[in-house]
Amino acid sequence: MRPFLYGLHHAIARKRVWLSPCVLLSLMGLSFTSLAFFQNSPPSPPQEIFSDITERAGITWHQFSGESSDRFLIETMSGGVAFLDFDGDGLQDLFFVNGGETPRGKSSSPVLNALYRNLGNGKFEDVASKAGLDRLRFYGMGVAVCDFDNDGFPDIYVTGFPESALFHNNGNGTFTNVTEKAGVKNAGRWAASAAWFDFDRDGYLDLVVTNYAQFSFNDLKKCELNGVRTYCEQKAYAGMPLTLYHNNGDGTFTDVSEKSGLAKLIGRALGVIAIDVNDDGWPDLFVARDASPNLVLINNGNGTFTDVALDAEMAYDSNGVAKAGMGVDAGDLNRDGKPDFVVTNFNDEYHSLFLSTPSMLYTDRTVASRLAAYTRSYVGWGTHFIDYDNDGELDLLIVNGHINQVIETTRVDVKYQEPPLLLHNEGSGVFRDMREQAGSVFRSGYRARGLAVGDFDNDGGIDAVFTQLDGKPVLLRNNLGQNHPWVGFELQGTKSNRDAIGAKISVEIGKRRLVRWITGGASYLSSHDKRVVVGIPGNHSPETVDAEIRWPSGTIQRLSGLKLKHYHKITEPTGRK
Amino acid sequence: MSALDPRLCAIAFLFAPLFALLSYPIHSAEAQSNRAEMHAAEGLALAKAGNLQSAELELRQAVVLAPENVTFLEDLGTVLAMQKKFDESNSYLQRALTMDPSDLLARRYVAANLWQLHRYAEAQQNLRILLRASPDDPQGLLLLGMVSENTRDYATAARALSSVPALVRAQPESMAALARSYYHIGENQKARAWLNELQTHPAGVRAGLLGVQIADEMHDYETAEALLSSLAARYPDESAVRYQLALVEFDAHKFEESRQILQQLLEGGHGTREVDHLLALCLEAQGRREDAIHTLQNAIQLDPGDQASYLDLANLLLAEKQISAALDLAHRMTKTFPDSPRVFVSVGSIQLHAQDFSNAVTSFSRAAQLDPASADAVIGLARAQTNAGMSHEAKATLHIAMQRFTQKAPFELELGQVLMKEAENGTGDKHAEVKAKELFNSAIAHDGKLADAHYELGELALRRGDLAAALVHLKMAAKLTPSSANTHFALSRVYRRLGQEQQAAKEIALFEKLKQ
Repeated sequence: MRPFLYGLHHAIARKRVWLSPCVLLSLMGLSFTSLAFFQNSPPSPPQEIFSDITERAGITWHQFSGESSDRFLIETMSGGVAFLDFDGDGLQDLFFVNGGETPRGKSSSPVLNALYRNLGNGKFEDVASKAGLDRLRFYGMGVAVCDFDNDGFPDIYVTGFPESALFHNNGNGTFTNVTEKAGVKNAGRWAASAAWFDFDRDGYLDLVVTNYAQFSFNDLKKCELNGVRTYCEQKAYAGMPLTLYHNNGDGTFTDVSEKSGLAKLIGRALGVIAIDVNDDGWPDLFVARDASPNLVLINNGNGTFTDVALDAEMAYDSNGVAKAGMGVDAGDLNRDGKPDFVVTNFNDEYHSLFLSTPSMLYTDRTVASRLAAYTRSYVGWGTHFIDYDNDGELDLLIVNGHINQVIETTRVDVKYQEPPLLLHNEGSGVFRDMREQAGSVFRSGYRARGLAVGDFDNDGGIDAVFTQLDGKPVLLRNNLGQNHPWVGFELQGTKSNRDAIGAKISVEIGKRRLVRWITGGASYLSSHDKRVVVGIPGNHSPETVDAEIRWPSGTIQRLSGLKLKHYHKITEPTGRK
Repeated sequence: MSALDPRLCAIAFLFAPLFALLSYPIHSAEAQSNRAEMHAAEGLALAKAGNLQSAELELRQAVVLAPENVTFLEDLGTVLAMQKKFDESNSYLQRALTMDPSDLLARRYVAANLWQLHRYAEAQQNLRILLRASPDDPQGLLLLGMVSENTRDYATAARALSSVPALVRAQPESMAALARSYYHIGENQKARAWLNELQTHPAGVRAGLLGVQIADEMHDYETAEALLSSLAARYPDESAVRYQLALVEFDAHKFEESRQILQQLLEGGHGTREVDHLLALCLEAQGRREDAIHTLQNAIQLDPGDQASYLDLANLLLAEKQISAALDLAHRMTKTFPDSPRVFVSVGSIQLHAQDFSNAVTSFSRAAQLDPASADAVIGLARAQTNAGMSHEAKATLHIAMQRFTQKAPFELELGQVLMKEAENGTGDKHAEVKAKELFNSAIAHDGKLADAHYELGELALRRGDLAAALVHLKMAAKLTPSSANTHFALSRVYRRLGQEQQAAKEIALFEKLKQ
């Protein structure tokens, strides 16, 4: 025996009379293990918050932008992605929208969308062709998912140029293009994000489409930077109005853009979220626009909307500048029960954070929250509030990427490929950059665009996926959230729309009330898992929690004794219309 | 002779030179004086004949021979002044005054020279001495009037000049000065009367046009137009008159009338750079920016060496957001005017607009190198450095400028704005915002009319929630630059927080209008 172990053996032997054998064995094992440990292995690093499992998951799809020497702006902007459970097996699947060819940007193979079916073992399989979703006859941009006919299966609306398309889920793994029948073609327009929401609360989801700019492949705009042909800035393109379709409940829609007042709001709209801003029970809209003032459209309850963005001080930044709003999300950051907003913008503009106050006036907390410091050099696209660690505070995930290939010849501080950001909410409306702990993806550069969040492995840790131009998407698995208590909600409307879009969930934990919404839209060009996960604040360890749901129909439902680390399927208490 | 004592001869011989020597100054002083007189007379004759150079030589001789002759000194001083050698002229005249301080002629000439040298305070000092001794000295009063007009003491100018009407009438410039002074003290009728007299002055169309310029400058467009119409009737072929009319119409915002006159001038073969320029401004004012651009391009073709046309065209292209064309022009400008600081400032501005910040740094650096006294070059450089992510260098640029330049306010403002940006994006030290505030306050102390500094202080106060302070600063900013959209936007935010919704709505309406 070596002296060290000999000494230990004797020490243990002397105490043998009154140490239990387990302790003895563990001491022995510990000593051997410890020695081996110190002799052979370096200490293992803490696990990264998010892991890139794209390859492991079998995701091989590739985005095609049609990039060409003509430098059409559309080449820089596509990349929608959705989490959805298309086959109703309880597992979130993935749908990727591809871009398309341009006059001089051709592909050697067909430009296809992808529908990745979640196989349940961390792997996915592309079934887009089988489903009838692989091809579009237009340049694809974004996706908005909902069950528009309340038949229990999520349908897909794909936006693009010069038209968009609605695919009805047949319930058997296939989809049917019902665009013409439904009347939602949005013909002649360059559509970006879309959101489903029930603006008239009739139980059927209506559709708002953001249209970006007047565009044609015949209208060649020439811009240069440093002698190199580059993409023209957005102001070279005139804006467009929004489109609003009312769901007639019979598989058809009526264009009510004029009637609703939305048609007169001309601008370059890119992102949209449907959420009840003023808490009156009627869903409103926040529209992020690119070098046009943002819109906060308050639902008047009579089929019309009023824009209060100026009064709310969210139309412009504090200098009266309309920033390049791309993506948007809403969540209750300051825990006042009202939605706060994040909007992604261009480099030097900072991504914006607007916090609610008791009145309709919002406060610009971009600088105070440190969001300005973290985002100065980035061009932001998809964004989402997520409680990645389930501590009860909403954190922030943003994906970035420039549009100008030669930007690095004119700037030392702005890159073409930019890393995503994971910002931890420190609890006082201030963020901290988690770059070092978030995972290697957060220290690498991408030309990221769409971002969707969802729990694909149903473990309570919110996962994420983002697309990138002319590249593979990145599927991120959350390694942290499931380690902390959480409660999940999967709502099904009866009197309300089946997806329960517009529902407000309040979870009471001790004296705290955490509010979450099921929103329509959000992020950029993307669609999310409609389930809601609420993290339990760290200083609480209840066994169950209580919650209140305000359904879109107005029905209030109170629930108690909800088990943690569990998704609760909750059906609206009243019957169908 | 045998009778002369040889000692006496010797003494005579010895002293004879002495005698001769002693008697020489009396004779040579006289001779010198005579010679000086001759030179002076010759000099005067030459001066009268218009040969000032030779006259100067003669009079210099006279002064050398008779250095204490006040008259010669005055004459030489006058001839030098006639050749615009004012400083040297004054040196001789001052010598004359030293010898005879009561010499009013010399005093008057000194005052006139000082006026020509724009040394108005000294001119006024001499005139005060002159007029104290001779209050009705007409030349002195005329000169006092001109100097007072230059120093914007219009009341004194009007009083002095109107007391010597015959002298004023001798020169169109003095008539113009009196008219301008009358305008400034509100005696418009009297001003117009003098301008009318200019129309019939023996100096001809030059005098008439001077009158028109005064009326135009004083925004009396009706009078200017009337004078021009009368001039045009008497000098129908005079293109200068018609150009002046176009200018007056432009100043009166009658852009179409102005444009038509200029177009006629062009079609009549009287196209000049000035005509093209004014035409471009008319077209721009009428919203016909593309036409304005073409006109300036014509001006450049007419005169490829005229820098001003390039610079104006650059501004127009930027206003039209034709960045590619502006960049092409920038390239041409740097080739055509490789040593012009103004050109490099313009090129740097174009590159800033094109977000080509690295090259903007290079251009502004070159401008500053060519003209270290150019504040525009330095501020442009700092701005380009900030935008290029070189804020450390930008701060250094501004700190150096604050030490070198007398007018510190613009640099204090710019540095404050750099620090504010750093405070916002967390790259500066924790006192960046405090330092920025100090700089803005200092900028205002140096230049109270710096609207942007007021704006920044207003924004800071708004951020702190100090609405009263915010309102004070933002109102001042709006007063100084009423066309600043951002200021009205900020004011709307203050009023909204004060619960003054109507005021807030008014400011937002102004903001929206100005943004367009």
